[in-house]
Amino acid sequence: MNPLDEHRLLLTRRLLLTSGNKALGGAALASLLGENIFAAATAPGAQQAPAAPHFTPRAKRVIYLFMAGGPSHIDTFDHHPKIHEYHGQELPASVRMGQRITGMTSRQSSFPIVASMFKFQRYGQHGTWVSDALPYTAGVVDDICIVKSIHTEAINHDPAITYINTGVQQPGKPSMGAWVSYGLGSPNQDLPAYIVMISRGPGGKQALYERLWGAGFLPSRHQGVKLRRSSDPVLYLQDPAGVDRQMRRRMLDGIAEINSQHYNDFGDPETQTRISQYEMAFRMQASVPELVDLSDEPEATFNLYGPDSKKPGTFAHNAIIARRLAERGVPFMQLFHRGWDQHSNLPKDLRGQCQGIDQPAAALVQDLKQRGMLDETLVVWGGEFGRTIYAQGELTKDNHGRDHHGRCFTVWMAGGGVKPGFEFGKTDDHSYNIVDRPVHIRDLNATILQTLGIDHNRLTFKFQGLDQRLTGVEPTRVVHEILA
Amino acid sequence: MVHLHILAASLICLLYCSPVVNARQAIAASRFNRDVRPILSAACFQCHGPDEHKRKADLRLDTAEGIERAFSGGRLADSEAWRRILSTDETERMPPVDSQRKISVEELKVLRDWSEQGAEWEGHWAFIAPQKPAMPRDDVVEPFANDHPIDRFIDRRLRAEGLQRSPEADRERLVRRVTFDLTGLPPTLEKIDDFLEDQSSNAYERVVDRLLASNHFGERMALAWLDAARYGDTSVFHGDGPRDMWAWRDWVINAYNDNKPFDNFTIEQLAGDLIPEATVEQRIASAFNRNNATTDEGGAIAEEFRVEYAVDRVKTTSMVWLGLTMECAQCHEHKYDPISQEEYYRFYSYFNQAADPGMQRRTGNTAPTADVPNYQAKAELADIRQELRRTQADLDVRRRNAETDFWKWVAEAEADKSRWQQAHGNMLAHFCLDEGEGNTVKDSVDLNRQGTIHGQPHWTSGIVGGGLRCAKEDFVDLGNVADFERTAAFSYGGWLKPAENPGGAVIARMNVENSHRGYDLYLAEGKIMIHLSHHWPNNAIKVVSTDQLVQDKWQHVLITYDGSSKAAGVKIYVDGVLWNQKIERDQLTKSIRTNVPLYLGRRNSSSPFHGELDDIRIYARQLTANEAKSIAEQSRFRPFLTNSAVDRTAADIEHLRMYYLSHRDEEYQRIDANYANLKTRETEAAQPRGNVMVMGDVPETRMTYVLQRGNYASPQKDRPVTPGVPAALSPLPSDAPANRLGLARWLVAPDHPLTARVTVNRYWMMLFGTGLVASVEDFGSQSEWPSHPDLLDWLAVDFVESGWNVKRMIKQLVMSAVYRQSSRVTDTLLKGNPANRLLARGSRFRLQGEFIRDNALATSGLLIDTIGGPSVKPYQPDGLWNAVSIDTGLRFTQDHGEKLYRRSMYTYWKRSAPPPSMAIFDAPSREKCTIRRSRTNTPLQALVTLNDPQFVEAARAFAQRVITSGGTTPARQITTAYRMATGSRPKLAVLNVLVQAYRTELAIFQAVPDRADALLKVGESPRDETIDASQHAAMTIVTSMILNLDETLMRG
Repeated sequence: MNPLDEHRLLLTRRLLLTSGNKALGGAALASLLGENIFAAATAPGAQQAPAAPHFTPRAKRVIYLFMAGGPSHIDTFDHHPKIHEYHGQELPASVRMGQRITGMTSRQSSFPIVASMFKFQRYGQHGTWVSDALPYTAGVVDDICIVKSIHTEAINHDPAITYINTGVQQPGKPSMGAWVSYGLGSPNQDLPAYIVMISRGPGGKQALYERLWGAGFLPSRHQGVKLRRSSDPVLYLQDPAGVDRQMRRRMLDGIAEINSQHYNDFGDPETQTRISQYEMAFRMQASVPELVDLSDEPEATFNLYGPDSKKPGTFAHNAIIARRLAERGVPFMQLFHRGWDQHSNLPKDLRGQCQGIDQPAAALVQDLKQRGMLDETLVVWGGEFGRTIYAQGELTKDNHGRDHHGRCFTVWMAGGGVKPGFEFGKTDDHSYNIVDRPVHIRDLNATILQTLGIDHNRLTFKFQGLDQRLTGVEPTRVVHEILA
Repeated sequence: MVHLHILAASLICLLYCSPVVNARQAIAASRFNRDVRPILSAACFQCHGPDEHKRKADLRLDTAEGIERAFSGGRLADSEAWRRILSTDETERMPPVDSQRKISVEELKVLRDWSEQGAEWEGHWAFIAPQKPAMPRDDVVEPFANDHPIDRFIDRRLRAEGLQRSPEADRERLVRRVTFDLTGLPPTLEKIDDFLEDQSSNAYERVVDRLLASNHFGERMALAWLDAARYGDTSVFHGDGPRDMWAWRDWVINAYNDNKPFDNFTIEQLAGDLIPEATVEQRIASAFNRNNATTDEGGAIAEEFRVEYAVDRVKTTSMVWLGLTMECAQCHEHKYDPISQEEYYRFYSYFNQAADPGMQRRTGNTAPTADVPNYQAKAELADIRQELRRTQADLDVRRRNAETDFWKWVAEAEADKSRWQQAHGNMLAHFCLDEGEGNTVKDSVDLNRQGTIHGQPHWTSGIVGGGLRCAKEDFVDLGNVADFERTAAFSYGGWLKPAENPGGAVIARMNVENSHRGYDLYLAEGKIMIHLSHHWPNNAIKVVSTDQLVQDKWQHVLITYDGSSKAAGVKIYVDGVLWNQKIERDQLTKSIRTNVPLYLGRRNSSSPFHGELDDIRIYARQLTANEAKSIAEQSRFRPFLTNSAVDRTAADIEHLRMYYLSHRDEEYQRIDANYANLKTRETEAAQPRGNVMVMGDVPETRMTYVLQRGNYASPQKDRPVTPGVPAALSPLPSDAPANRLGLARWLVAPDHPLTARVTVNRYWMMLFGTGLVASVEDFGSQSEWPSHPDLLDWLAVDFVESGWNVKRMIKQLVMSAVYRQSSRVTDTLLKGNPANRLLARGSRFRLQGEFIRDNALATSGLLIDTIGGPSVKPYQPDGLWNAVSIDTGLRFTQDHGEKLYRRSMYTYWKRSAPPPSMAIFDAPSREKCTIRRSRTNTPLQALVTLNDPQFVEAARAFAQRVITSGGTTPARQITTAYRMATGSRPKLAVLNVLVQAYRTELAIFQAVPDRADALLKVGESPRDETIDASQHAAMTIVTSMILNLDETLMRG
């Protein structure tokens, strides 16, 4: 916030407090105040003087389908038919160019190329290659924009997944969702601005970390709130046994009355804020169960999202909840789906992994589209890196693994002002290096913010003397070419 | 200038009503450091600052020369800087349009004022050693005139602003405030009453002294330090597995309680391991810098992470002690502060010597470590040892007295020789290892078969005839023998004497490269592991003994297997006794046959075993328990008893005698059992309480180079650096060793510009809510100007002069009238002092999460307030760990009993999924150093204190406590509860609300008793069943309300 704005807000606050109008609620007061001067008194959901948007947004919200573990770009989207000619041959040094590889394969004596064992076909108006592991995604290929030239420096899970979610490879920085919460707040008074859900597939599951949806140095109310498959979908949501809604209402009324008296005696605006936060907690206790209760969804919804969608905790179920969150105005939803780390048994494991997300992800795009919400909702699908063209471990007729690969991988996006039915960026025939229009993960993040009307350079927070931002200090560009 | 006026005109009103500007004018004119440097730093230093690579026009505005050149001594007409700042030409204007940087109108005005006063430059205040400023003498504001230095500095500023201090807080609130601030716990009713009744003039001081002497003071101070030290119970990166660092936490608590001077506190934590003849406590102190995040990720490149650890240690050390963002210079020259990249790597080089590796363990501590002494057991140990000496004497007596019986037994045993000679049928192979020379071993079953020793043959005396030792990579290739299928019954084993760190494969026919196909007898940390594997780990059996073999002792190990393909078909016998075992894998459905040979001392081709072997036998059938026992005995006594008596040596006879005494002589066995028991107790008492990872340096100095753009893989070999500190700060003492010890001593040298300031500022923040420098973690060019610079310097110098006396400093702060003010907010106070930086009233802020939980535990009487020890796992919602852990394998297992009610600072801190009720109250993850927590107020917090079972149970116990001992009527009980939770008596109107709530809910619970029962079941602590359930439940609702009041949650 610039000093003049800051001053204006200080003035406003003083005016309000000196005019004898002590009845003004804390939330209302907080809503007049900006982030930096009165951070303690504002709350998730409370309308704040926003740090953003900076220009007219294309998207009002983001649904980020995060495929944790590193899905193989080679076996899903990034297909070069020529690779079959090289199958089984040693990866040429001219392709690898001495680039570093992980400690898991660096001692391998041989690096045999493996062409994908999945069948690829062309789909849609532009003949887009999609593997037979993703038949439903293939069906919506004209609605999505596939970027095949994403890259990252990290080659191991922890640094890589921390990097793409927070902008650096080490812990300590806010996640993208937290930045969006900080920048835009939530238009919904009863729900946080950033919601996280976790599901898992059959593949080997690498660890996740709370930091991936953490607030870092931003006020901690911007951290992602986990929606869990539990009777307490939000932690501690349920009233204790023996306490019903009426009793809780009476308790809160009593607490509010005592707090109001205390406020009259002591005059601390924080007390008023507390009253309103307890009210919001009460409302959340109703709005969240209503949100995750899918009994009002017609059968057609479940048919669309597939057989898993009635099972709480599955990706398909979470995808329906994400759509419901979108309907309620929540600006950032992130669905972590675990199990994409196919170091071995890739042909079998990856198919199972894809099955868990293919129909629901495609359904989400269709569902949003048919409800007229796709143009204002950005859906992003992708993981922390891709996988190597060479085999990890033994290569047999029908089995192999692939190691981590950060030099290139594929992400798709849909809606929210990105070009539908569009492909961007190219890799070489080995799907190893990018040959056209590289998009660094920073560029991807800047582009996602851009769709929300946020200039990644201007969404800053002063910490340790620096104007910190998601994209850091390295050169970053918004990929305007993929924006409609 | 015209331009400026046009810009300013539209905003002129705002500018001139600004209290900020008024305040500044009231005190002094624009000063470079306070007013101008922050503007230049933000707008200009990027291109005109310390970074010479990015510097444009060879102009830097952080030096006297540059300022003179740009601002021409304040002659605005001559100043190029002014011309460019005000230029209407976008190609000329500064800062450049595309830089996204701007100078606001208000800032322009500051620059103008400063120029008009001569545009004088000052060095950055924080880099100049503080001098003790003169004490304001005549500024003391009535009615609190006293001699307290803090009050004088604060009052001077208040008076300048036309404000005055608030009256002292009422005694109830004051004692609660200071008790929380110094111990993190609420005052008991007794302590509140003591203070209310104490009419002496030093009543408050007596409270403060009592609190400073309490052992909870150390806990409270340690808690603030845990965030800075990034303390956690797990390793952070990748697996985020468990580690044991609590002994360091205990050290910190003790250090504060012992009032260890801050200079020693610093030296021991940064370099305790390097102090000559360091004590074990000093080594444990150095664990401070082992709290960093470490990795165990399979694909990680060790050097990348080793460098990352050093980088983290630089960051933490500079943030905690220097208040500097030194890490900015890792990749390039610092943009704002005078720290060059080379200076960064000189500082880094102190930490680049660390001996701990880049790849660390997923579970447990990685060397270097220090054992944690068991202080309590020391006295006990002396008693045990005396008892041991007595028992040894008893054994000697019995041994002499048993001689007749012994010879009788020998005679009987010789008569029954046939039993000892009994053959064990179906022996497939038998390697006696009696060769004593050469590099082959013979099979006594098939004399044509022999094995080959690879590596060095080390023949030993063995236990039965000779034996063979395997060291380093030695092993024996026994050829294609014992090629068993999973459906065949077989047995194998022999005598083993494991060497140090017993691990590796003793007997194995196993192809590691082909999915570990085969079978083995494997040791890991002394435990016996048996694998039968087709494809590890998916198609295999694994059983593990629960006990461990003893090092350097001969033990007979025999494995039998019944061919069932089930783990239950595997049995482990040690010295003829069946051992307990744990089944870890039990899924074997395919062949275990492999074409690699049978090996002694390793698998094909890894896992070397170190130790001695003797009498190795393989049977193509499952031996019985009796046979296992008989082999263990027979193989030992056969030579003695089968040879004629005349051939026996004295040693042979002694061997037989010991066997007789310990197996056949009941009197001897009884004394021996007692002896063994004492030995076990001795071992346990002498056992350390665990260990802790500590710092250590590599023996030979590791060269440090500037890393190109901070990249571990790009050391610039032409830019080697030696250890050192930034030139802009004070110089290293001339005798400082070039290691961390020298660095630590430099930090606490009396003339250091930063350490004392940064430290007292942190204490100030702890007690007043905001630092005198609000950016507590940054004292560099971009830091905030201190609200009271003179006071900060006075305190810093005073701290050093006192010998870095921490308790004295804390006492000084809380004794001030400024600290003791009422926190009531009045309109007048809010007006000129919105964020209370001027301290015209007492500070009021939300208790930190740990204190909110501890308050509930303390008031309810559930709190177990023992100090120190390993972390505990109280209630937390299910599934939080496995939602994030690798293959969802790491699950949270809740503790029970007292561990549910320890202080929150002992709650197990898993850094990838921190305890949610703490995280929701702004506790950081502690993956990185955190100096300042945010302090938010959110609905999720309300859900914790209303619904978390920990709080519901506390409300229930709290209700029980006041019902049984808080007075005879509900109103009295509620009053007691209110006082315990908030420290104050409820006003009548407040009491009425709560009493009414009690009555209403009582009626409900009486009408539906099941609801009362359900509520009273929350939590594991027992309920006093003599209390009427409805009344208990209704009071639980009231105490829950009390625990959720603003006054309870805040400290004011």
